[in-house]
Order: sequence, then structure tokens, then C-alpha cells
Amino acid sequence: MAQILAALDEGGANTVLTEAIASVPALSKSGSGSLGPFTASYTVHGHFTGGSIDLVAPATVRIEHLRCVWQMALSFGIDLDDFLPHFCLPQVCVHIPCVGRVCTPKICLSWPTIGVTVPFGDDVEASADFGLDVALIGGQWKVQIVVQNLSQLQFGPGTAGILALIGAAITPPLLVIPFIGPFLAGAVDLILAAIGIAGLTGFLGPILSPFLSGLKIPVYAQDKHFKLLPADGPFDPDVFVELDAVDARIEHSDEDELVLTVGISP
Amino acid sequence: MNASIDTFDSRALRYVDCYGQRFMREGTYRYHVLSCREQGLASQPARTIKVVPRSGEGKNGATMTQHSVPLRWTRGRFASSPVELEIEVGDLVLWNCPDPAAPAYEIVGDPAFFASTRLVNECGFTHAFGTPGSYAWADAHGSGLEGTVHVKEVACKTRGDLERWQQQLAQAALVMIADGKVRPHEVEIVTGQTVYFAIVTCGGISITDKRLLDERGGDGRAAVR
Repeated sequence: MAQILAALDEGGANTVLTEAIASVPALSKSGSGSLGPFTASYTVHGHFTGGSIDLVAPATVRIEHLRCVWQMALSFGIDLDDFLPHFCLPQVCVHIPCVGRVCTPKICLSWPTIGVTVPFGDDVEASADFGLDVALIGGQWKVQIVVQNLSQLQFGPGTAGILALIGAAITPPLLVIPFIGPFLAGAVDLILAAIGIAGLTGFLGPILSPFLSGLKIPVYAQDKHFKLLPADGPFDPDVFVELDAVDARIEHSDEDELVLTVGISP
Repeated sequence: MNASIDTFDSRALRYVDCYGQRFMREGTYRYHVLSCREQGLASQPARTIKVVPRSGEGKNGATMTQHSVPLRWTRGRFASSPVELEIEVGDLVLWNCPDPAAPAYEIVGDPAFFASTRLVNECGFTHAFGTPGSYAWADAHGSGLEGTVHVKEVACKTRGDLERWQQQLAQAALVMIADGKVRPHEVEIVTGQTVYFAIVTCGGISITDKRLLDERGGDGRAAVR
């Protein structure tokens, strides 16, 4: 069987795969999860950029510093009774001239549950080892790299700032609650402390990890019935060859190369 | 408790409001507690207040006893205990429903010689102000009586600050309304403090947050839940 060999060194692989990564369609997901003590619902969109490619024989494409840039809308409810002290207006007495002393009753309040919606975004970075995946699907050969191992997610420096954004989103609905004034600053601090950086990354990690762990980056796609030459007049029709087999591997000679081998027949 | 902007209206009492009425003559007086959803139509039998002569030595009105009537909002109705109350001439009855979930309500005499919606003589309305700001009020019935309550913000950074604030809350500001005059016209309190509006003699007024009147351009009642 005749074969065609195509080889791509690491420099070429970086160029090709960087473009391939950028062409991966944006991913989106909705659901709910635990944000510290709260149950938060979210919608997240993410796309991928960057990464430096390292080819490792015999079949690993390692991408360092692969970044997922994401935007999220987060909604959750806060039962303020969980954070604020039990509060009562004390009995109040006034002396009314010519009438006497009149007293109001003690009135105990319950704090409301407030809803908070926070839009924010950041990026997360990871390194991943991809395997080579070759498949004939619907009459087309497809070569893609598929995540096999993923390092721990490294959140960007903006992640800590998300807590400040949550604090800013909480404050306006708190301001309109009667009698909360003296407790306001403490309430915001307590709520943010309850979430914490750990709570935030613990929330974001399980949401964003599947984006990265399920990543498939297309490298090559070609019809099995491959048009080698186009028609050139009525007596010179299209010329096709069959791509009978496709193989992809990393070979190490002087340098590491991504090698595609295509077996063809007339 | 629902998060809401702090407004007040003696015609639509809420959990941080009280309405008080003195009874200066003997007799049996019927009244209703109406939620604002009832639009003035009583769905329950009237409660009664029986006013008997004073047993003490003082002259009528010289001394008095306060009778508090706590209201409960249950199964879509206001309940009070006791249903029949016996008091002495000159005594004051004070109503309050401390349930934040209860709708706004009014106390209406039957016949309506006394009512929280139209404050006449020897009665009072209290409101605890929960949010800082300046609150201009006016009589929604058009007497021209008005005033302002300035509510200062309180910042509590320490436990001591909180304790001092709690002590302030136990002191109320008094506004006397008599013979077409409001004294003082302006009062200053801190967040959470109560203002007692004592109506000594009046033709029938309300103490209504001016924003409610401005919202509807009329008597503002539709703006109150």
C-alpha cells in the first residue's frame, strides 16, 4: 500500500495547534453548586487560548499553560438570619404631658433572604497531556488530540477580586433592608468570609475542570474518498484516491515530530 | 421580612407601627382590624371595648392605664386577644401586629369615631424608622399639617457601639399635634429609633410619608401594600 508521510516539528506543531485551540468553539454550561454555605446557580461560557506545545514520543502532546478564558453569571440567595444577630426593637416609653406614660411593645425582627446576581469572569490555566485519537467517522478521517491527564487548575490573579465583586453585589440589596445599618459592614464581611477563596475555587473548579478535561482539539480532517486532482475538461474527470488508513504518532529522531502516515490506494 | 424601602403611613399600619387610642367616655365601643386587602370591608365580627367608670380617685383623664392589644396574622386574618376588653375611662388601648409577614392594616371604630386612618383626639401613632434619611410627612386628608423626621445613620464598629445604639433605641422622640400645630416640626433620631406622634386634638389627620402621596398624586393609599 502506498503511503504519504507528513511530519510536523515542535515549532510547526505550536503554530498548527495554537490555531486549532483557538478554533475550538466556545463552551457553555449551566447548573448549580456549593459556593461556601450557599447553593448558587450559574451559567458559564469559556474559550481556550495559548499554550506551548511539547511533543513526547510515542503518543503524547503536552500543552503547558493552556488557558481557558471564562465568563460566569452567578446567582444565589443569602438567608441573613444565618449571619446577623437576632434583633429586637426594645420597648419604648414616652411621657405624654397630661396623659401619662405610653409604651410600645418589644418588636423582634427576622432578617430576610436576599438574592444576589454577580457577573464576572477570569481565566484559569492548566497543563495537560493529550493523546492522539484517529477515527474514521462518516466517511472522514479525523485526527484530534484528547486530554488524558490534567494538572491542577491555576486560577488567575483576578479570582481573588471576584470576592470583592460579590461584596459589591451584596451591598445594594442590603442597604434597603430596614434596621440593618449598624450590622451592614459586619454582614458583608461575614458573608465573604463564609465563602472565602477556598469556597470560590471549590465552586469554580468542578465547573471549569470538565471544560478542560473534556477538551478535544482537531488536528486533521480529510475525506476518505479524497479528490487528488480536479477535473480538467470533459475527458479528464476528477481523480480520487482512497485514504485507506491514517496513523498518527510522535517520533523522536533529532527532534520530536508529529508524524501522520496515510495509506492510499487508487 | 421582605426587603423594602422604609415608608410609613398611619392609615396602613405595619409591624413596626403602633396605634393607640384613649377612651374618655363610658360605653361599649366596637371596632374592626382590617387588612388593607379588605378595602374597608370587615370579614370578621367586631371586637369590643367596654369602658367603665374609673375606680381610682383621680379625675377622668388625669391618670390612665395602658392596655396593649397584640394582633396576630394567622390564616389570612388578624386575630387579637382579648376579643372583648374592659377598660376604665381615660385608659389607652395600643394595638400592634409584630409580624413582618402581615399585610398593612387599619383599626377602625364602628361607628368610626376613632380610626387609625383618621386620627382625631387623644390618640397616637408610632413608627420605628429603620433606614437613614429625611422623611417628610404630611396629612393625606389635606389639613396642611406636616413635619420631617431626620434619621441619622449609625455605624457600629465595636460591641460598645452596638450597646450604645441599643440604649438609644429605647428612647423615643415625641411629636405633639394639637390645635392645628405640630411641635416640634422637625425631629432628629438615629436608625431604629421610634417617633411617637401624639394627637391631642385634631379634626382627623393621617401621618403619611410624603413619598407615598407623591407617588400617586392623590391620597397615596394605593402605594401601600
